[in-house]
Amino acid sequence: MRSGSRVAAGIALAMATSVPAAAQSGQPAPAFTAPVISDTGSLHGPRQPIFFRHDVHAGQNRVPCLYCHYSAAISSEPGIPSVQTCAGCHMMVGGSTPTYQAEIKKVRDAWNHKAPPQWVRIHALPGFVHFPHLRHIKALGSESCTTCHGDVGHMVQVYQVAPLTMGWCISCHLQKQVTRDCLVCHY
Amino acid sequence: MSEGMNRRRFLTVLGATGGGAAALGACGVDPERSQKLIPYLVQPEDQVPGTATWYATTCRECPAGCGLHAKVREGRVIKLEGNPESPINGGRLCARGQAALEGVYNPDRLGDPLARGVQGKLERISWDDALAQLHAKLAAARGRIAFVTGNETGSFGDLVDEWTKAVGATHVTYEPFAFEALREGNRLAFGIDAVPWYDLASARYILSFGADFLDTWLSPVAYQNAFARAHGFTSGRDVTMAKSVFVGPRMFLTGMNADEWVAATPGTEGLLALALAAVIVEERLAPLPADAGRLHELLARHAPAAVAGAVGIDAPAIERLAREFAGAQGGVALAGGMATHYPNGAEIAAAVNILNYVAGAVGKTVRFGPNQGLARGTFRELTDLVTAMEAGKIAVLLVHGANPGHSLTGAFWQAWGKVAYKVSFSSDLDETASAADLVLPDLHPLEQWSDSRPRAGVWALQQPVMQPVAANARPAGDVLLTLAGKSGTFKDYLQTKWRPLAERHAHGKSFEEFWPELLQHGGLYVDVPRQWVRLGPQATELMREAPAPPRFAGEASDLVLIAFPSAALYDGRGANKPWLQELPDPVSKIAWHAWVELHPETAAKWSVTDGDFLLLQSPFGAVRAPVWITPAIRPDVLGVPIGQGHRAYGRYARDRSFNAFDLLPEAPNAYGGRTFAVRVAARTTGEHRFLASSEGDPRGVGAGEDIIKVLPRATADALAPTAHPFAEPAPPAYAAGALAGWAEEQRAGAALGNYAGKQPRWAMAIDLARCTGCSACVTACYAENNLPTVGEELVLRRRQMSWMRIERYWRGGEGRGAGEGGEPLHGVVTPMLCQQCEAAPCEPVCPVFAAYHTPDGLNGQVYNRCVGTRYCANNCPYKVRYFNWYNFAEAGGEWEAWPSPLDWQLNPDVTVREKGVMEKCTFCVQRIRGAQNRARLEDRTVLDGEIVPACAQSCPSEAIVFGDLHDKTSRVAQLAADPRGYHVFESLNTKPGITYLARVVDRGA
Repeated sequence: MRSGSRVAAGIALAMATSVPAAAQSGQPAPAFTAPVISDTGSLHGPRQPIFFRHDVHAGQNRVPCLYCHYSAAISSEPGIPSVQTCAGCHMMVGGSTPTYQAEIKKVRDAWNHKAPPQWVRIHALPGFVHFPHLRHIKALGSESCTTCHGDVGHMVQVYQVAPLTMGWCISCHLQKQVTRDCLVCHY
Repeated sequence: MSEGMNRRRFLTVLGATGGGAAALGACGVDPERSQKLIPYLVQPEDQVPGTATWYATTCRECPAGCGLHAKVREGRVIKLEGNPESPINGGRLCARGQAALEGVYNPDRLGDPLARGVQGKLERISWDDALAQLHAKLAAARGRIAFVTGNETGSFGDLVDEWTKAVGATHVTYEPFAFEALREGNRLAFGIDAVPWYDLASARYILSFGADFLDTWLSPVAYQNAFARAHGFTSGRDVTMAKSVFVGPRMFLTGMNADEWVAATPGTEGLLALALAAVIVEERLAPLPADAGRLHELLARHAPAAVAGAVGIDAPAIERLAREFAGAQGGVALAGGMATHYPNGAEIAAAVNILNYVAGAVGKTVRFGPNQGLARGTFRELTDLVTAMEAGKIAVLLVHGANPGHSLTGAFWQAWGKVAYKVSFSSDLDETASAADLVLPDLHPLEQWSDSRPRAGVWALQQPVMQPVAANARPAGDVLLTLAGKSGTFKDYLQTKWRPLAERHAHGKSFEEFWPELLQHGGLYVDVPRQWVRLGPQATELMREAPAPPRFAGEASDLVLIAFPSAALYDGRGANKPWLQELPDPVSKIAWHAWVELHPETAAKWSVTDGDFLLLQSPFGAVRAPVWITPAIRPDVLGVPIGQGHRAYGRYARDRSFNAFDLLPEAPNAYGGRTFAVRVAARTTGEHRFLASSEGDPRGVGAGEDIIKVLPRATADALAPTAHPFAEPAPPAYAAGALAGWAEEQRAGAALGNYAGKQPRWAMAIDLARCTGCSACVTACYAENNLPTVGEELVLRRRQMSWMRIERYWRGGEGRGAGEGGEPLHGVVTPMLCQQCEAAPCEPVCPVFAAYHTPDGLNGQVYNRCVGTRYCANNCPYKVRYFNWYNFAEAGGEWEAWPSPLDWQLNPDVTVREKGVMEKCTFCVQRIRGAQNRARLEDRTVLDGEIVPACAQSCPSEAIVFGDLHDKTSRVAQLAADPRGYHVFESLNTKPGITYLARVVDRGA
């Protein structure tokens, strides 16, 4: 059990030090180009302290979800990437437009001032529900995040798509013919 | 990737960010959607969100020095378990060790240095000012400085030694229970000033003279584990079960678990030991050592007939014990606890040594060499210091890791006033600290570097497992180094001390390579050769007087009062931890209060009942104590636990009950120790108080023979492996049809949905021949499952939430609970928790399906579904369901169980329940799910033994085994088929998932 967690830490480190697959392999131009946003006020979802574009990172640049949320596949919690993860790229990548540059400056400031941004939580479950991310990724694959989180790779600003109610959970469990036992999640 | 590098990195990183441990997975009742998610600045390499990281360190709650594995989630330590690699505790941990967590997160912890201001009050002060002040005082007081520390066997003790030497100070080690008598007894008998290691595990007869090795004596976890190995009954084992005998005026937990209790007159244990030795020599029951002839005269004076009157045991009984002990060929006799706290404690210890010597135990079961690591201090050194203080010879007094203000309530306080400047390193405002002039709060042992040497050959390392909760507290080692003008931290000092040690044992590795390994293993463990001892010159000079009990201080009252360390609070240091306060004492079952124990005869004579107050007066002080009547004490003896009665310390400890130390002498006895027995006068005061006791709780399953089964040794030995003596007779014809119909319905139901296919059935086996009732499992359950402590008032109203409780009943003997076939008095215990019935009475009565049966055989309880009808609890025959009458998690609420930062200890994997919800043991379902998730990740099935519920994990005697009953090769399935196996209330057809294995008692021929 204990050695397991050490091994898990090892995997995490290995993933964190590798470079995103898309950035490395010099693939052809992306199929999707993130739109230019002029009016952020009309966007879905809560406004975040940094206008982080999932559509740019996960969509246009095809950074795998698990590159930043690395622990989703090995732990119950997906984790929020550390500022170091952002700074790892953005100390080099400065942004192509003034808007991007302004937001990336916030990342650099957070790193330099050692003041992590306070993200607004979007997906939350009550305390009496235990959702193990690892089992779902294991069963559905590393691209399956969209099942619950929606097509984040095309979201300019992230918002909650699925209701995350029990009935909604159960409908999927019924469809996939997997357990509906209460004590799988409630304990 | 090395643990050590990770740790350092982690600390640097978090140190730089000001301790920004992430708020991910915070354990609130209900995360609000407006909650903020604050990421790490740098993700610590060894922390994965949602996954625990374990660090090896060392427990410092008592001198035993058990190895710890600290479970850390998101930067917070949330559970302590034993380090399986530690040769001391082998992965097990007692209640006190686990409650160290409540020391880290104690809501009364000091955060900042305090100094006595102009108005005489302690006021906050900066570290710079505090250190400058202290520096000046020290410089002016050179040569008149004293430093009192607790038991420090490691580098911190070395540092204090060096520092005191440099500034011309004296270093005094003070532990209220310092085992002076044992050391002196060994010097008298063998000329060696050390405490040996006792090999209980391979002993074939365990004869304890007062040594309560299951409660507090020396190394309770280690000795309990060894005791269970020797004394536990395993069918078909070729080595026979060791008989255990306890000698002492009070039974103690060790006596309750012994096969025989010999209630000798207090202080005559040594006479009895010599009489046993005399019989062994006289009858040549063992091959005698060559120099045993020297003992001839001593033993002749102590023949059974000569001592029988004084001891209060007749001569034939003494001869029988001697024959049994020697005949076992491999017995061990222990002297300790009360027997070594009398005025003649050292002589008793020496007499027991002589018994061991003539019986051939020395060198076999009594091993010098791997000696107990105890700091060298004696009580006399402290009283000498008090004299010097009184004489005005001490100008600056520093206190670390000791609370003499609680244990020495007389002369010490008078002398305290004569010291101009008192400094405390305590992290709580205990009695001593709150009367000090300067308080420099130390970090908790779980937050700092240190080490200890609990036994020769065991170097135990202590590393910080998390960022300090009190961010402005400083490690005392760092402060001392600063005062000495040295550069570097205490960690550097520690490593310097370890370098030569590492060089000897690193097998060519560099220190930098070896250090992380040491941290990972929790220290360095090497075998120490045994040291052979011979009778010392003074051995024959023992006990010159005519055999008689010792003289106890006090008026010519015929009542001797014995004061003993509380099993949960020890010398009082645990008193501000709610887990320990709420833990019913393993023997008395009383929580949150101290008591005075009275034999029923005495109680009848004085016409007092449980809870009536007595005014106890000794020559040294007086206390008012509520009575608890127990048959497990001699009629001429009163017993009081030590640990309560704090005048300061914190919200859970302050002004609670009485301080037994008030009654005790403060002058050292002949061997330089403290005497814990005194004659007292007692009279009733007319006051009464209900004691918060779980004894007589209507929840209890009762003392019935059909519920707690005890087999005589001979019967148990004769059981065939396939026998089932406790099986219920087949149901009568009228019920058989109904049962068959019910079973058919169950089978039909089991083929549907989730229930179809092959499923595990989680089950447990509890071996009552191993269980001692020590209650480590109870605290483990509190820690693992976020059980609230409810306080004294609610315990009185039977609203405690202990999912796992230890029920204790008396059987045999006379007085309360008497009359079963003239058997001698003995205690029986049974852990009682949800039995996870297959045909559970709780399930069908729930109107909302909150109580239901899971496919893997658990009785599920869905909190979010529960509406609180309490039908399930009413219908549960075992009474193991607990209702949340109040909102224990409400911050600032009337019944708040976790005032900040105690809530940091909550397990994020377990829901914190709200008011109006029923709860009960879940078999640690979060651990089951965790193991299943891991197994799924690794594409395998869960292995037998992989899932260990918190109770089973902590159990020092390995009495609890968990697993899948459907896997016929699993340990639990094998134990469930054991001939000693039975179910509680089997006749109710509940088909429990817990199989109890009957206790076995050796009553001799």
